[in-house]
Amino acid sequence: MSEQEELEELIEYLERDQLVADRSVPVPPARLSRPAAIGLWALRVFAIILSAMVIYVFIAQL
Amino acid sequence: MTPAEEAVLSTLTGEDAVRSRDRFRVHDARRRGSRWYLLWLLVGPGILVMLGENDGPSMISYAASGATYGFGFFLPFVLITFVMAIITQEMVMRVGAVTHRGYGQLVLERFGRVWGWFAAGDLLFTNLVTLIAEFVAIRIGLAYFHLGAPVAVALGLVLVLFTLSGGRYWRWERIVLGLAIFNGLFLVAAIMTGADWGSVGHAIYTFGPFPGGSVKTLLLLIASTIGATVTPWMVFFQQSASADKGLTPADLKHGRYDTVAGGVLAAIFGCGALIAGAALAGHGGANIQGLAGAGFPGALAHISGHAVAIVFALGLIEAGAVAILTISASTGYAVAECVGAAHSFNNRPSAAAAFYVGNAGVAVIAAAIILIPGVPLLSIVLNANVLATVLLPVTLVFVILLANDRELMGRWVNSGLTNVVAIVIVAVICASGAAYGIDSFLQTVHVIS
Repeated sequence: MSEQEELEELIEYLERDQLVADRSVPVPPARLSRPAAIGLWALRVFAIILSAMVIYVFIAQL
Repeated sequence: MTPAEEAVLSTLTGEDAVRSRDRFRVHDARRRGSRWYLLWLLVGPGILVMLGENDGPSMISYAASGATYGFGFFLPFVLITFVMAIITQEMVMRVGAVTHRGYGQLVLERFGRVWGWFAAGDLLFTNLVTLIAEFVAIRIGLAYFHLGAPVAVALGLVLVLFTLSGGRYWRWERIVLGLAIFNGLFLVAAIMTGADWGSVGHAIYTFGPFPGGSVKTLLLLIASTIGATVTPWMVFFQQSASADKGLTPADLKHGRYDTVAGGVLAAIFGCGALIAGAALAGHGGANIQGLAGAGFPGALAHISGHAVAIVFALGLIEAGAVAILTISASTGYAVAECVGAAHSFNNRPSAAAAFYVGNAGVAVIAAAIILIPGVPLLSIVLNANVLATVLLPVTLVFVILLANDRELMGRWVNSGLTNVVAIVIVAVICASGAAYGIDSFLQTVHVIS
């Protein structure tokens, strides 16, 4: 069996969206509802404030 | 062959060819009805992620809990944290198997570059510092055999380079699985200490005796343990590895078996470390803490004999080594996914440079840091754990959003019950992590003592 034929046979065992070519096409951006967008902004503020606290603690301990 | 099929064939890569060979074996096992062989083929990411989380610092922490408080509350508590981890990681596995994309890639594409890079940056930093702790754990284990930091560094790096050398996900996964099973050494150590198994059973059944001492210290320990139930690298790793392995929606049942089996094994082995550590309770074990856990094998030698100490030390070496491999892999996946480069073990290094450089590079940097004299390792590791814990909510919120994204997941979105349980778990983890971080801050600014 040639390499081409072997590939043709093997490809049957992969789902189309498992192929590298398909996976490299970006999925569309999520359409966020207003509450979800607000929630993500709150999450951003939470992460920044707590990160700043931890970095302060680390510097204070040096 | 139709023009459409020809077009597909023209885009095939070496990565596709390697993955399709692995999938052929899965299809063949399923067609022949070989249940056990099918299970053997499909397990991997779940067991690796759970045993990888039973890393050096975690096992030292479990042993320290046992040495400080004995059996009691913490044995069943550890089991509960693994139930929480299983529920979270099942969502991660499902998203990877259905979308065939890693966590970093999906966050970047669905929620924008800011969140994508934030997630990757958070992971890179916490992984680097966690890897430092893993090399330290190996060093602690080797110290019992009178071997130093250079040997720990060499061992870790040789393992990383060796496992990366095959150009195939399957090979990497099986080697690391073979190493990970030695996490069971902690259970062997527990058995060798001659633990009172009646008391162990009583503790699991009754959550007692409840530990005494400072309530604040105890609450902080509980918060930090809950907060560390799931770590960002676990999310990145299992989703990307599930996609790299080639799991599909047809494999979800086996993916769940894999995740549950990993959680059960990790819980048993984690309890093993706690029970082994409990042999030191009442023998000054409470004074062996943190990175000073270097004293554990030596202290066990005095109380339970050299054989137990050797097994425990070997366990620490294994725990550190496996975590280095899995955490480095999660870094490679994250870096390559975020720059849009090839991200699979099924590629040769020349075809996936970003993935391999990210994977090995983070391990090399961590190894170099532990060789620098006078570096404040304890402060780095403790604060990294706090940072990983307080940033975990960001990771977990996106896990829930992705698992509920009908456009991506179709009929495999979370069920109502899964959502209720997952949201409660995430809320508890978030609250514990935030409490832990805020407490550390308030102590530093002397608002509380």
